[in-house]
Amino acid sequence: MVDTRVEVQDLFDAYLWIAVAVAVIVFGAVGFAALRYRHRSGREPSRRSDALRAELAYVGVLVLITAGLVTATFRTEDEVDAVASDPALRIDVTAFQWGWTWTYPDGFRVTGNSESPPTFAVPTDRTVRFTLRSRDVIHAFWIPEQRFKRDAFPNRTTEFDLDFDQPGMNGGVCAEFCGLRHSQMSFDVLALSEPDFQAWLADRSGGAP
Amino acid sequence: MSPNGVATVERAPSGPLTWVAGADHKVTALRTAVVALIFFIASGLLALLMRTELAQPGLQVVSEGTYNELFTMHGSGMIYLVVTPLALSLGLYFVPLQVGAAEIWSPRLALSGLWLYVLGGAIMFAGFLTDQGSGRAGWAPTVPLASDHWTPGIGMDMWVLGVCLAVLGMFLQGLCVLATALRERAPGMTLLRMPPFTWTLVATALMVITSFPVLIAAMGLLEWDRHVSPVFDASGGPALFQHLFWFYGHPVVYVMFFPFVGAVAEVVATFSRRRFFGYSLFVISMLLFAALSMSVWAHHMFTTGQVTNQYYSLTSHALIIPAGIEYFDLIATMIGGAILFRTPMLFAIGFVLQFLIGGLTGIIVASPPIDYHVHDSFFVVGHFHYTLFAGSVFGFFAAAYYWFPKVTGVTLREGLGKLHFWLLVIGTNVTFFPMFFLGFDGMQRRIANYPASSGFGDLNLVSTIGAFVIALAVLVFLINLWVSLRHREPAGDDPWEGQTLEWATSSPPPRFNFRGRLPEISSFAPLLDRREREAER
Repeated sequence: MVDTRVEVQDLFDAYLWIAVAVAVIVFGAVGFAALRYRHRSGREPSRRSDALRAELAYVGVLVLITAGLVTATFRTEDEVDAVASDPALRIDVTAFQWGWTWTYPDGFRVTGNSESPPTFAVPTDRTVRFTLRSRDVIHAFWIPEQRFKRDAFPNRTTEFDLDFDQPGMNGGVCAEFCGLRHSQMSFDVLALSEPDFQAWLADRSGGAP
Repeated sequence: MSPNGVATVERAPSGPLTWVAGADHKVTALRTAVVALIFFIASGLLALLMRTELAQPGLQVVSEGTYNELFTMHGSGMIYLVVTPLALSLGLYFVPLQVGAAEIWSPRLALSGLWLYVLGGAIMFAGFLTDQGSGRAGWAPTVPLASDHWTPGIGMDMWVLGVCLAVLGMFLQGLCVLATALRERAPGMTLLRMPPFTWTLVATALMVITSFPVLIAAMGLLEWDRHVSPVFDASGGPALFQHLFWFYGHPVVYVMFFPFVGAVAEVVATFSRRRFFGYSLFVISMLLFAALSMSVWAHHMFTTGQVTNQYYSLTSHALIIPAGIEYFDLIATMIGGAILFRTPMLFAIGFVLQFLIGGLTGIIVASPPIDYHVHDSFFVVGHFHYTLFAGSVFGFFAAAYYWFPKVTGVTLREGLGKLHFWLLVIGTNVTFFPMFFLGFDGMQRRIANYPASSGFGDLNLVSTIGAFVIALAVLVFLINLWVSLRHREPAGDDPWEGQTLEWATSSPPPRFNFRGRLPEISSFAPLLDRREREAER
């Protein structure tokens, strides 16, 4: 069980705080230079034109920061990219101009397009395996709430796992520009507790619960 | 004839014949820059239309189809026809001067580059006049969307052809700049005495000559795919096209950045009234940057699931090192200086601080798991506008105010320049900062329309207001050009106490750039050396 929402958000927050710290240092240094070294009569600019050792030490710090970021990224990517050997549910997703079809096990399908966007259901706290493909051009399956997207290519499939840890509605959109009605290629994902999900499935597919 | 009997041409020749046969690199460079400014205004107006449409949820101003043409032509206009040519035009004009050359290497090749570029740009924009409209598959098209089946029409073909011609033109100009730096240097001007700006152009041109041909090939294959026989049909075809495109598409990002880093380095040194700090590491960092730029392209493909994300993430993160060296050198030049806050310096500081936001968010999107969320969202739109607009365009204005006196013989008005700067700072940040929040909250790129329920309306309205402030700032710049050229205030040869050779000749420079002997060249700042020697005497 990997919650992409938490994994990606935590990594983003780490990067963001480092970025904010760097911004504070750089804005501070430029501000210091602008106030302290403003041109005044009698001020002679420094004639020093390098500080090789200090700068190389600084490069060493940059290398360490880079290594730290790369390590954090690789660890998170391993988590997010991993696919479970035994997902609780498999859903085939087909993207097309300009809509989506989800095929649940047993062949039950929900489809919708830009005229009437579809609502799909998933169970909470279960690993859901998505197998994604496109019927025409490249699209991208993006659920901003889950902090995850993956491109849908024609003539090939791609697989990923998502876990929806809270019941509720997640908006989804196509993120890869795909032609005229790209902006309206949206969908909703309704996360339901396992019993509610089974009821939803039975109700929609017309089968017994 | 000069008094000593040697034939000299005092003024650069002009007139209709120079449009086809002119050999003066300064004229070619200036014309390239003027054409690029015209395309800048055209592509900017397209952006204003887009921002007007996005000010509120729903469709009010343009149709979805028109919007797709607008963002395609805005993006491709700015990248192929504005920032790349502006960057290279600075090199065409100032690299020969900075290395003490009388002329650029192969001046007529540079001139033919200008013509290919003008022709390509005209063809791209003429697509608006065709039945099915202009190119409308994005500045970075994908297949199969860009194939004839999904995007039919002659306008799209004109876009592909126009991009090929414009990029070929820029390739030729980049080649001329590189060969000038390598082969046309004055005696005493060794490679490690070339000014920082010239070094940034060397790094730029190396990327131009290695990556631009790949785009021309990709576009040629796309055209073949559209009208002759399928090229990208196999299951790996769409990803292959993306590889070819981004093999150009990422280096070009630095082609549109390095020359402005170089210009800003010259401005910062000149207005801090001291030698540029950390020259040798700066040169190494530029070459490292250029080398890395060739190995990061597939970070545009993290969400495809078809590349080794870790490799491209590693090379992209490694850019922290050369970029960090540049920031160290720029800031270390200011610390210890005696800083004069003239308009070029204001724009240079604006470049340093605002590009930082673009660079730091660039590191954020270099992490694949984060990119899974923000890729193709307004977060990325905000990121690259902070690099290209808040960075490169500010760098261009720093260069424009700095070198305008050299090119025209007159200075731009300082008061209007400062008004231009502050309006542009406000407009830029009001326009682009909200995009980070919009993208992170789920607003995807390349949409004319978003639902009212998304809650994106308020921030989009703020962003749109900012775009009009940018337009106002650009108007102030145009007024400044007009006023300064009409009521001329002669600048003299060296209004800023410059450090490099272009300030050792008249403003504008004569036909063959220098009269008489060049100053002694013993470092990358020969005029500063001369002043220091005179002060010691």
